[in-house]
Amino acid sequence: MNRREFLMVSAAAGLAASTRFAAAATRLDMYTASDANISDFFNNVIKPAFEAANAGIELNVVIARPSAALDAVAQRALAALSAKADPQMDFIEAYEPMLPAGGIEAGLWTDFSKAGLKNYGAVNKLAIQTTFGLPYRGSQVLLAYDTTKLPKDKAPKTFADLVAWIKANPGQFIYNRPDKGGSGFNFVNRVLHEVSGRDPGKFKVDNFNQATADEVLGKTWAVLADLAPSLYQNGSYTAGNTASLQLLAQGAVTMIPAWSDQALQAIAKGVLPETTGLVQLSDLALCGGFSQAVIPTNAANRDASLKFADFLLLPETQAVIIEKLGGFPGVDWSNLPKALHDKYADVIPSSIPTFPSGDWTKAVQDGWYRNVAPNISRT
Amino acid sequence: MVTVSHPRAEGGRLSGLLLVALPVVLLIWLVLWPVLQAFVGTLYFPGKGFSAASYVYFFSDAYSLRNLWLTLWVTALTSALRVAFAMPIAIYLRFRKGSIAAFVQSLALFPMFVPSVLVAYAFIRVLGPNGIIDTLLVAVHLPKLPSPYLAPAGPIIGLVWEGLPLTLLLLLSGLGRVSTASVEAARDLGAKGWTIFTRIILPRIQSSIIVALAFNVLGLFSAFTLPYLLGPASPEMMGPYMQRTFSDNADPLNATTQAVITFAFCAAFGVIYVRAIAKGRKGPA
Repeated sequence: MNRREFLMVSAAAGLAASTRFAAAATRLDMYTASDANISDFFNNVIKPAFEAANAGIELNVVIARPSAALDAVAQRALAALSAKADPQMDFIEAYEPMLPAGGIEAGLWTDFSKAGLKNYGAVNKLAIQTTFGLPYRGSQVLLAYDTTKLPKDKAPKTFADLVAWIKANPGQFIYNRPDKGGSGFNFVNRVLHEVSGRDPGKFKVDNFNQATADEVLGKTWAVLADLAPSLYQNGSYTAGNTASLQLLAQGAVTMIPAWSDQALQAIAKGVLPETTGLVQLSDLALCGGFSQAVIPTNAANRDASLKFADFLLLPETQAVIIEKLGGFPGVDWSNLPKALHDKYADVIPSSIPTFPSGDWTKAVQDGWYRNVAPNISRT
Repeated sequence: MVTVSHPRAEGGRLSGLLLVALPVVLLIWLVLWPVLQAFVGTLYFPGKGFSAASYVYFFSDAYSLRNLWLTLWVTALTSALRVAFAMPIAIYLRFRKGSIAAFVQSLALFPMFVPSVLVAYAFIRVLGPNGIIDTLLVAVHLPKLPSPYLAPAGPIIGLVWEGLPLTLLLLLSGLGRVSTASVEAARDLGAKGWTIFTRIILPRIQSSIIVALAFNVLGLFSAFTLPYLLGPASPEMMGPYMQRTFSDNADPLNATTQAVITFAFCAAFGVIYVRAIAKGRKGPA
């Protein structure tokens, strides 16, 4: 075989192979706007396992950050629904099923309770906010601290303790800008809960009201502005969840609010030292939530998406979500090995308060920039 | 400029126009058209008529004005610092040859090839709290430095380093116009270094300095990564502020208004740049 023949034969073989794969493989387009630890987890852990168990389905992880980009994707799916077109999206790893407005009424999202999932019965009933979203993993903001500077038994357990500790140890606490990451955002929300009577139920996706907001947010800004001089560098705020973890890892601060999954993962990888302690406030926990997967009813590969949803709820998948991701399981703990439960007893929440997306979130984030961030005295 | 009539002038003009047609079309399609759209979109609302409310809001909102003021201030300071740092290096490279000069040149041009996200993380590791500098200081029993990370100085230090190569190249090209003979002649007449710099070198490279400043201003005004990762939460530079208004507050109207205002400032510096170029062409070559 001379060179020319070889090239022709290999080109023909390549063409045949590519069309064969194109015919056999269903490409499942999964969108995510979560942090890199989640998209990495899907690419490196979930994708190989799912594809091995389901020959012929390829999982394509599409990263659409920030979350506003996902809103555009969801709106495109809604538009495709009314135009009876392909939404070019099969699955969103974490989204708010209440969005886009009118989506549920138009029949955009799949109702998981009626979708015939084999494992749906295992889902933690407390985590189901709506049947249009599938809560398959959870995480919550807690306080991560350096036990070499703050012994475990001295760590603050209530909000009042926390404020007292921050003031008694100036420069040792920092939280990130509330729009740049959930850890700082939910710390700000915890202050909002504190000044409004520790009732997270007061804030709902559809009950934003300017007068109430002005009143409770005014009190929130007062508390935060009062804390500012005692924060790192007299009131600095990091630009994201990971930037806070980095300051804790570098020993520049003693305590930060952090996502449970990111903190556990960082400890497991050695990014944070073994001596990192985690604590949740006991008077009212910091917010968190379950990530709800959604599937558009008009997805081109809806059957494959449902298979994927079932796969995420398998006990084996849920176990890696706990062990590799540091997340909370979306299924009830009774479906999982007891040893796993005991190992993570520290961070298993008794309750996970949530904060609504939409107008309340916007009011908190923009208000914080205008009222808390500028009051920096660097003297 | 002397115009020379040429038998091939007609054909040359046509092919010349064809050559510039593609960039001009791209410029109109990708830059001028969106600018016009943004400008009209913030002033004229179909069905509602004209309203400059978003501009009135911007210029009456203390928070927005503070952000604009910070952007102007950081831009001015950073541009000046870049020229101040690049000038001695450029003069050194212009009048010295050899392996050390080549080494200095590659070192000074190195930041050009480093993406700004890497600059930001390297900065945090080196100048950040308990970073390499602090570790070294502690090792010799000196107190730690107050870290510029998350302080106003943070993005300025990062931006100066990042923009040094372009400034240096522009100044070097200007210094190419300074003849060694004139410098040596001045030195023979007894002129000292500072006199040579202000009397011989500066007048020759004026337009290069203006070009360098204009380029810097254009880049700095829209700086995003370094102010976002290294700067304080507030005031914000216009880049992060626009992004936040657009995506977090889901407020395209005000984000576009901020963009138009930012563009207006950049366009003003663009005019200065074009004038400097035109002047340089007319002036003695």
